[in-house]
This record gives sequence, C-alpha cells and structure tokens, in this order.
Amino acid sequence: MPEKNENDAPGVPGGPVTDRRDFLKTLSRAFLGIWAVGGATALASYLKAPEHNEASSERTVRVGMLADLRLGEAVVVRHGVKPFFVIRLDATKVIALSAVCTHVRCILTYDRDRRAIVCPCHDGRFDLNGNVLSGPPPKPLPSYEVLTRAGEVFVRV
Amino acid sequence: MSARMWEGGSVRMARLARLTLLVCAVSCATWAVSQAQEDDATKPHGNAFVTKSSGRCGVCHPSERVAFEKSRHAGEDMRCTTCHGGNEQSVDQTSAHANGFKGRISRADIPASCASCHSDQKMMRPYDLPVDQMALYQTSGHGLKLKAGDTKVAVCSDCHGAHDVLAASDPACRTYVTNIPRTCGNCHGDSLLMAPRHQKDSYHDYLKSVHAKELFDKGDLRAPTCVSCHGVHGATPTQVGDVNKVCGRCHTAERRYFLAGPHADGMAKKGMSECASCHQDHAIQAGATERLASGCVSCHAKGSKEAALGAQLLADYKTADLAVSRAEEQISKADGVPLQTDDYHSRVEEARTYLREAMTAAHAVKPDVMAAFTARARSVGTEVETEIKHKLLNLLVEKVALLVFWFYVVMTIGIIRRWRDRGPKA
Amino acid sequence: MNDTPKVPGDTPEAAPARKDAIAWLEERLNLTELFSFITHFGIIYTPIDTQRPLREQWKKIVETPMVAYARWPHILGLLTALLFGLEAFTGVLLAFYHQPTIAGAYDSTRSIVRDVPLGWLVHQVHAWGSSLLVLVVLMRLLRLFWDGLYRAPREVLWLSAVALAWIVLQLDFTGLLLPWDVKSYWSAVRGLEVVWAIPFVGPFLSFLVGGRTMSEDVMGRFYVLHIIVLPALYLAFVYVTFATMRRVGLSRVTDRGVAQAQAMTTFRRHIADLLIITLVLFAALVTLATLLPFPFHGAADPYTTPKGTRPPWYMLAPYALFQVPWIPDWVFGFGLLVVAACVPFLPAFLRVMGERIDEPRLKRIGLGVLGLWLVLSVIGIFVDRR
Repeated sequence: MPEKNENDAPGVPGGPVTDRRDFLKTLSRAFLGIWAVGGATALASYLKAPEHNEASSERTVRVGMLADLRLGEAVVVRHGVKPFFVIRLDATKVIALSAVCTHVRCILTYDRDRRAIVCPCHDGRFDLNGNVLSGPPPKPLPSYEVLTRAGEVFVRV
Repeated sequence: MSARMWEGGSVRMARLARLTLLVCAVSCATWAVSQAQEDDATKPHGNAFVTKSSGRCGVCHPSERVAFEKSRHAGEDMRCTTCHGGNEQSVDQTSAHANGFKGRISRADIPASCASCHSDQKMMRPYDLPVDQMALYQTSGHGLKLKAGDTKVAVCSDCHGAHDVLAASDPACRTYVTNIPRTCGNCHGDSLLMAPRHQKDSYHDYLKSVHAKELFDKGDLRAPTCVSCHGVHGATPTQVGDVNKVCGRCHTAERRYFLAGPHADGMAKKGMSECASCHQDHAIQAGATERLASGCVSCHAKGSKEAALGAQLLADYKTADLAVSRAEEQISKADGVPLQTDDYHSRVEEARTYLREAMTAAHAVKPDVMAAFTARARSVGTEVETEIKHKLLNLLVEKVALLVFWFYVVMTIGIIRRWRDRGPKA
Repeated sequence: MNDTPKVPGDTPEAAPARKDAIAWLEERLNLTELFSFITHFGIIYTPIDTQRPLREQWKKIVETPMVAYARWPHILGLLTALLFGLEAFTGVLLAFYHQPTIAGAYDSTRSIVRDVPLGWLVHQVHAWGSSLLVLVVLMRLLRLFWDGLYRAPREVLWLSAVALAWIVLQLDFTGLLLPWDVKSYWSAVRGLEVVWAIPFVGPFLSFLVGGRTMSEDVMGRFYVLHIIVLPALYLAFVYVTFATMRRVGLSRVTDRGVAQAQAMTTFRRHIADLLIITLVLFAALVTLATLLPFPFHGAADPYTTPKGTRPPWYMLAPYALFQVPWIPDWVFGFGLLVVAACVPFLPAFLRVMGERIDEPRLKRIGLGVLGLWLVLSVIGIFVDRR
C-alpha cells in the first residue's frame, strides 16, 4: 500500500527538488524492502525444519556379537531412515549393505538361497557386493565399513 | 546424715535385704515348681531340663542343651545320641555314658560324623538338601590337609557350629551371606594361624575390597564373598589361568575384552595371575583411570612401547572425559539461565555410559577397541557443548538485535507518517 | 493525482507503458472484487465498485474524506482484531512444530522455544499476545459498559463483545495446556475442576473438553478447540461486530467528541495510523517477548504438584474466593454461571427494569463490581491455601 506513493508527485523531471525527493523515495522503498527481506528470512529460518541429523556418536552402530550372527544370514538393522543389512559371509567376514533400494527407496529383502538382495517393489536385484544384477535400480547399493572389535560387530554408517 | 550413722544403718539394711531375697527366692522356686508340675501334665518328659530332642542329657549339659534346642537340628530326627552315642534316658552318668557312647568327637572325625546323615540321599531328600558336601570337602584344601593329618584346618563345625547349627537363610547363621567373610576370617584373618602356613591375612584384605563395600556398606547380598570365588565345601585357592574365568562369571564384558587382548596369552605364558595382577587378589579395587598408564610400568619397562600404549589409552580417555565434563559445565550454566536442558542431561548420561564402557574395553589394551567408546563419548560431549554455547550466545544476540529492530520500527513509522502527511490535509 | 487512471484489461492498448504485477493480474481476474472481501472485516468503510480497476478504487478510497472522530477508546476494538491476526499468524507457525500429544507436547515445545531459529520469538509473541488480548477484550467490555454501548441499537455489539471476551478467555485456557510444562499442566488441571464445579452445565462442558481428569483426550480436544473451533467463533463474532458498525456506525457518544467529530480527515491518514498502530503493537510484543519472556518450565509431572502455582491474572479474583475454605466450590461455579448469564443479557435486563435503574446508578454498580474484583484480585495474589 505505501508503495502507491510513486504516483503521487511526479513533479518536473530533472529539478533538484525532485532529485532529492526521488532519492528519499528510493531510500524509503529500500527501507521497506528490508522489512520484506527480513521478514521472509526470519520466516524461512523458522520454517526450515531442523535436520534430524543423527549425532556423530550414532554414526558407529553397534550391531551385536559376532557369535550371534548366523553364517549366510542377513540381519536388518533399523537405523533411522538408513536401515542396512549385516550379512555374515564366513567365520570372519561380515559385510554391511544399505537396505534402501537405489531406485525408489523401497526397503529391500534378502534372498538367502540365491545370496542376493531383492527389491519387492520392482524386482530389482543386487549381489552381495551391492552391484545391480537386474531390474530398474540405477546405482549399486552403498556398502558400509564393518569393524569387529573384541567379538563385537560395529558398522560405520 | 553422717557416715557412721549410715554404716550402722547399712548393716541393718543388708540383713533386711538378705531376708527379702530369701523370701523372693523361695516364692520364685515355689512358682517354678508349680509351673513345672503344670508342664508335667502336658509334656511327656518330666521337667523343663528334659526335652524331646536332647533327652535327659541336658540335665547335666545345660549349655549344650540350650544351643542344641535353638538349632536347625532340634525337632528333626536328631538326638544328642545321634552323634555322641550313650543313653539319653538316664541322668546317671555311668548308665548315660554307656551304650556306644563316643563322648567329644575328634576334629578328624567330624566330617564323617556329619556325612553319616548329610551324604545319605534318602535322609536328605525330604529337606531338599544336597549330599555332595563330603565329596566336595575331600577335594578342598581343608579336606586334603585333614586327610594328611593336619587337624588345624576347617571342619564342618568350624563354619556351621557344633550344637547350634542354623539354616543358612537365618541371618544369625555363620554361613549367612554377610557372615561368611567373618566365618572364614576366624582362621584366615588370624595371622598366628596363617603365618606358619605362609598364607596371608586374606580376610582383612577382603574387607578393603570393593566387594566388601558393596556387601556391607550398600547391603547388596549378591556381592561376592569368599565362597563365591573359592567354592563352598570344596574351597580351594583359584589357579592361575582360572582367575579370568572366576572373575568373568560376573565381569563378563571385561573378560571378553581381556581375552581379545594380548595380555591373556602373555600372562598365561608367564604364569601370572590374570585379573589379580592389576586389581589385587583379595583387596580387589576398581581400576582407577590413571592406572591405564601407571599400571603398565609395574611389569613393562619404563619408556617401553607398552608404557607408551598405556599413556595413549589414558590420553584418549581423558580427552573424552574432558569433553563430557565441559558439556556438563555448559549444562549447569544453561540451567541457571534457565534454558531447558533435560534432553542434554540424558545425552551426557549417555556419554558417561560410553566412558564407563571405554574403561571396560580398556581390558583389551588396544587403542582402536577403546576408541569405539571414547570417540562416541567425546563427540557427544563436544556436540552438547557447542549446541548449548550457541544457544547461550543467542540469548545475548537477541538483546542486540532488539535495538536494531527498534531502529527499523522508528524509521518505518517515520516513512509511514511522511506518506500519510503527503496527501491533501483536511 | 494527475496520473492517468488505469483501465481494465478489455482495453489493453490503453494500459500504461509500465506493466506491473497488479496490472498483469488486473487483466486476468477481478482484483477489486477480491479486495472488497476484506472490507467485511472493517478495514474499508467506503463502498467499492467492483467493476472498476483496483488502483482507481484504491485512490478513491485513500482520498475519501472521513470524520476524524476515531479516537483512543476506539482503538480497543481495532486491537482485538489486530492482535487476533497476530495470534493466528504466530499460532499457525507454532502448529508447524507442536505435537498435540502428551508424549510429544513438551518435547516439541522445547524444541520450538530452544532449538528452532526464532522459535522462542514466535512462542513468546504468541504468549504475550494472548495476555494482551485478554486485557484488551476485558477493557473493551468495560469501556462499552461505561459509554452505555449496550443500549439500542447496539445490543448486538454488546453481545458480540461479551462473546469475544469469553472466547478469548477460553482460548487462553485451552492454549495454556498445550506446552505441557509444569505450569500449563497444573493450571489446566485446576481449570477442569472449575469447569466441573459449574452447576447444571459443568458436567456437560466436562464431556465437551474430554473429561474431568487430564488425559490424551483432553489434550486432543483442547488442541482442536484452541486452533479451530474457538478461533472460528472468534472470527465470526469479529465479523458480527463490524457488521453492526456498518449498520449503526461508530459510537460518538461523548459531548467532548462533538468538536472532533466535525474535523475531517482522509482515509489515507486512517490507513497510515492503522499501519503505525500495528507496527507499534508488533514492536511492543517483540520487546516484551525478548526482555520479559514467559518462563518455560520443566516437563509436567502428574505426580508432583508444584508449590505456589497461581491462576492467570484475570482469574485471581475467583481464585481468592476459591481459597476460602468455607465457601463450597459450587458457589463459585454458580457465580460463574450467573455472570455468564447476566452480562450478555444486560440490555434485556435494563429493558425489564425500565425506569427503575438509571445510567449513573448502573455506572456506580459497575464501578463497585470492578472495585470488588480488583480487591479480590489483589487478595488473590497473596492468598494461599493454608
């Protein structure tokens, strides 16, 4: 509403008085503009939901005792929005693979007989290295580092 | 009243008192007899000194009778004669001390005497009692020495009592949990008895331990006593190599980390007692943090790479501990503002848990194993600290921003007024 | 003023060289008609010709001469609308984060107050705004009473003013529970007892708010009442208020006002003053929020009643009565019911009384009641049970 005053006093162009008035007008507008910018910034900073980043202490996930993992079987660890499989391949080798399909973020299932990871949504298939075997997934599955310390399995997400 | 008068009076008073006592005694006796006669009507066995369990033995052995009457054995199929033989129906010493009378049972014979019933499955079954005590005792340090002819070792009655055997669930019992250390300590805390056998005073050592504190000061009946580690009837010193198994029964995580570390093999080769080498055998102490570094040089050379490793473990721990402490400092600052900090409190509590776990993981003496926990504690501490610092700073910034805000408000009002007054005035 | 008037889109060649957003929109929809919608809420008095372009109409509105009789007493009505707008805005912002469940209410409020950028400001402005709103609607009621604005033809104005006051009190009551901190929890618990103590309608009202004891149901209903039902009612009564004003006009009752009534001004001044008042109000709220924030206490613990909890300031007088042990609770509830029944029907009451009660006498009674209320409030500050 206040910006309507642009039409109020056009005056004679070029005169020093008009210059001053124009300058004041521009200044006023800039000033009012700061309200708009400031308000929008404040609103945006409020509305931007705080990211629920997992704290860095959560980035190393404790999976459990190595002895409790059965050979050739997968355990799904429900880790926030990033669930992952922990699969024990043999006596010492344990791998961790994301359980979220790279296609449209469906949660994958583990096919124990074929030793493959299968997507229930579009039948995408991954091998245990995370490579796409078939189906629509565009990218291989990310894998995570597994640490075994004193018989306990940790995964670094 | 003068002293003389008082003396004269006192003689008279004393006479009077004696007379009164006599009257009292007579009347009491009369009362007692009448009571006894009343009892006679109901009880099968004569007077008060004769009971079902002790027969007539108590007439001459009153203190043994009293002790025995209180015991767990009284009222069961147990008589004085079961152990001592003789005739319980007689008060005549000659006839009473006949009929297979054994008299005082020698220490060497006590275990066999007790076992005559307690190893009998048929007799013990109704009481749901085990029958392996004798077998176990024979394998124990005490039993082996007794067999070798040393009678100055513990036999059944030393721990359970002779006549006054109580149930172990009775707090007055010598083998009740809180009484066990003292019961063992009767001998093992007696340096006169232990010194000739080249044994140390483990009882007083135990009293200094965290376990004793837990048991006596905190009243935790699950805290370990002597028998928890050494066994009950088969009590023996724990062998090197078994120590980690014994301690690991409760301290499972510590044992797991210990076995994953280099100390397990190293100590086994050198024949060193595992846990006790650092924590002592009976005066067991919780490991102080500083011992992460200072403990190493008691075996390893100063300046060796093992000592450096210990120093590194301690440094790791201290960095994490410092981070957590600083977070706590910020929290107490925020509490004073006040800023709500309940969730931060629980996060710091979580960090403290990681720190405790780090000390457990330190048993593996591997920096990477311990770092799994110290790094977590450190990062939680740092995060909490920075977040609260940030929020406290914001409280200051708000006040400054308020000034700027008012400057804008005033300027804007000026602009609006200028616009208002520009139009044609009324 | 010597600018060429803008023409609607059916003659685009006549449009000025500089095309701005308003002109662009003007060609595509009837902006003026949209704009005329807000006149329902009292901002614009002049009739608007929705067939004319907006700029032209705006200029007409701005230069409309109007009587400069709107003075300070009138600002209370304006503030009830402005503050409500501010409360609605901040309330919507709060609702983005607030979780109206017993499990989530405290944590989410804490995150608003402490973690979300400027969340503390939104929360505090909302809290201070509600306090001011209560003050404003009550003062407005007093001023309407004092100036006799309950008489014909302003009975409806009076009724809607009473309704606004009641709705604001209920908004404050329901809103106080939502943070679920110690204070809010316990004042709501006591409030539920008060609701229950009202004779006849108490149990019914208790059903309405989800029961007599605090539970998830009460939380949910308070939430819905607070964010939808009561604001909608409030808006309806604001509309009624402005509708009465369009019919019977602003009050001009004082003799002192006669001289001012002659002064003429333009609507431009009116709108500028409105903007300034809004700005000052907002600035005042921000200042209060920053310098005197309402304390946000720890999470509510249903098993620990904190000491010295007081009701909000406007309930101190009933609280003082409530603390007198020999007055049973139902007397207090009955009193509330009587007030609730009598105040709105003041005009009808006067009609029945006719000549028996004249205005000065009524004013004296009113002053007496106000005095009693103030004294009881002061007692309520200091009184404590046992």
